[in-house]
Amino acid sequence: MWSGPLNKVGDYRYEIPKSYRGINGNLKMKVPALIYASDEMLPAIRKDNAPEQTANVATLPGIVGKSLAMPDIHWGYGFPIGGVAATDAEEGVISPGGVGFDINCGVRLVRTNMSIGDINKETIKQLVDELFRNVPSGVGSQAKVRLNKMQLNEVLEMGARWAVENGYGWEEDLEYLEENGCMEIADSNYVSEKAKDRGKAQVGSLGAGNHFLEIQRVAEIFDEEAAKVYGIEKDQIVVMIHTGSRGCGHQICSDYLRVLEQAVRKYNISLPDRQLACAPLKSNEGERYFKAMACAANFAWANRQMIVHWVRESFERVLRQNAEDMEMHIVYDVCHNIAKIEEHEVDGKKMEVCVHRKGATRSFGPGRKEVPAKYRNVGQPVLIPGDMGTESYLLKGTNQAEEAFGSTCHGAGRVMSRAEAKRRWRGREIAHMLEQKGIYAHPASWIVMAEESPDAYKDVSQVVSATHGAGLSLKVAKMIPLGVVKG
Amino acid sequence: MYRIIEHTADVGIEAYGATIEEAFENAAKGMFAIITNDGHIESKQKRKIEIDFDEDEEILLVDWLTELLYLHDVEGLVFGEFEVRINKKLVGYAYGEKYDRQKHGYGIEIKAVTYHMLEIKRNKKGVTIKVLFDI
Repeated sequence: MWSGPLNKVGDYRYEIPKSYRGINGNLKMKVPALIYASDEMLPAIRKDNAPEQTANVATLPGIVGKSLAMPDIHWGYGFPIGGVAATDAEEGVISPGGVGFDINCGVRLVRTNMSIGDINKETIKQLVDELFRNVPSGVGSQAKVRLNKMQLNEVLEMGARWAVENGYGWEEDLEYLEENGCMEIADSNYVSEKAKDRGKAQVGSLGAGNHFLEIQRVAEIFDEEAAKVYGIEKDQIVVMIHTGSRGCGHQICSDYLRVLEQAVRKYNISLPDRQLACAPLKSNEGERYFKAMACAANFAWANRQMIVHWVRESFERVLRQNAEDMEMHIVYDVCHNIAKIEEHEVDGKKMEVCVHRKGATRSFGPGRKEVPAKYRNVGQPVLIPGDMGTESYLLKGTNQAEEAFGSTCHGAGRVMSRAEAKRRWRGREIAHMLEQKGIYAHPASWIVMAEESPDAYKDVSQVVSATHGAGLSLKVAKMIPLGVVKG
Repeated sequence: MYRIIEHTADVGIEAYGATIEEAFENAAKGMFAIITNDGHIESKQKRKIEIDFDEDEEILLVDWLTELLYLHDVEGLVFGEFEVRINKKLVGYAYGEKYDRQKHGYGIEIKAVTYHMLEIKRNKKGVTIKVLFDI
C-alpha cells in the first residue's frame, strides 16, 4: 500500500508534487509526476509501489515535463509499467529500465474483407489449429527458419524491410508500421554474440506468457469516420498479433543494464533505485545502448512481419483463397516498450527529447508527419490488446496526447498471480467457459489456459475508458476474440 | 533446496545452500523447475560455464543464471543438475537434455534475470539467495 500524495489536478489526472521526498525522505524529484486514472482506479494503483516508482523516475538527469504514468500503471523493474518519461536529447539520459526487457514488445492488426457471416465455427477452429502449426509458440519455441550471422545482422539493421525483401509479406506493409518497421540508428556492431545467437534461435516465433495471436470479430464501432479510414467495420474478421523481440531483446537489455550500471558510477549519477541505471544519451555508453536497443526493436518488427506472412499463408490454406483477394492488409503496428528521439513541445518550446515508453503506446494525433498519409487526417491507430478471451481495442491518437509526449496506455496487466490462478481454475474449465462465449482456444498447454484466465487480469475496458476520458486516445472499435493461439 | 516465490505478475526463487556454491546450484535448479513446471530432467548432456568474478556476488549470480537461460534459448536445453566452484572465477557444469514439453512439462517462459530485491544472505546455517525473473 502506497500512501504518498496524489493530488487531483484535473479530470483523470493525479499529481505527485515535486516536493514529495519519497518513502525514505530523501528523494529529489526534478519534475512533478502525473498519473492518469479514473477515481475508481486509485485504490488499485495505490496497492503496489508503482506511484513511488513514478516519483523515482522524476529524479533522472535531464527529465523534462513530468514523469508520467498511464492508467494501466503497475509495478515494474525500476520504471513502473505504464511509465512515460522524456529526457532532453542533448543533456538527458537514456535508461534501459525505461524500455524493459522485451524491447519493442508490440501489437499488430491485420484486417480481412470477411465478416462473421462468412465464416463458421468449424472454419475458425481449422484456422486456429493451422496457425498453431504454422507459427512457433510457447516455452522453448524455436525458429523454423535458420538464419546465418550475416542475415541476422541484416534483420537487426533493416527490421521489417528485411522480412519483406525476403518474401515475408508485401511491400505496402511497411507503410503501416510505426517507424515503417525500422529504426535507422540501429548498429549491429553493438549487439553481443550472445544476443545474436538467441535471436537466430527464435526469429519468427510468438513466445509465451501474455503474448498471443487472435482471430477477432469487430464487435462495436465507436467512431464511424475513423473506423472507415482504418478500413474497419462492424462484424469484420481481423487478426491481432502481440509479441516482441524474444531472447534477442532480453539479452540486449541484460547486457546493457550491466554497462549502464558502471556508467552510473562513471558519470556520478545519483539514483534512488539501482534499476534506473542510465547514461547520458550523448555518452559512449548511452549511444551504444540506443543503437543496440534499436537493433532489438528492428528484430521485433521483422518477427511480427514473419508472423503476418504465416498468418496470411494459414488463411490461404484453410480458406483456399489468395490473401490479396481476402484483402489481408495491415491496419497498423505499434510498439509499447521503446525509447525514441521525437520532437515535442515542452513549456511552449519545440525540442528534441528521448521518449521512454514502457508499457505505453505512441498516440500521435492528426497532422503529424509520422502518421501514414492515409490516416493523417484522423490520427494514428493505437492498438490495445486485451487478454485471452476478453476484448481488444482500436483507438486513435490525439493532439491532446501531446501533453504526455504523444503517449497513451498499452493494455491491462495481471491482478492475480499464475499460482493463484492455477489454484482457482483448471485449464479445461477455462477452455469450456471460453467455448460457451464462442471462443476457440489452442493453448500450448492446459496450464497456460488456467494461468491466463481472463479473470486473472485487470479490466482493459476501464483502462481504455480512462485514457479516452483524459483525451490521450479516443475509442474507435472494440474487438472480441473468436479464436486464440496462446504460447 | 529452493522455494518458488510468486507475486502478482512475477516469479522468483529463494534458494539455500551450506555454501555459496550450493546456493548457486539450487538457484539454477529452481529456475528450471519454473521453466518445466517441476519436470524431471535427465543428465544426458554436459555444458561448462566460466564467468570472471570481480567481487560482486550479485552480478555473478545474475550472470550465472543468464548464461543458463542463453543455453536454454539457443540449444533448447533444460538442466537438472549443477556443479559450481567459485574462486577467482566461477566454473560451473550444467547437466541436462533437450527440452521436451511432453516429457518435462510446461512451465513459464523466463525472459531475464533481474536485480530487483536480489539478496544473497549469510547466516550460521549457510547462504540464502533471493532472485526474481522477468516473465
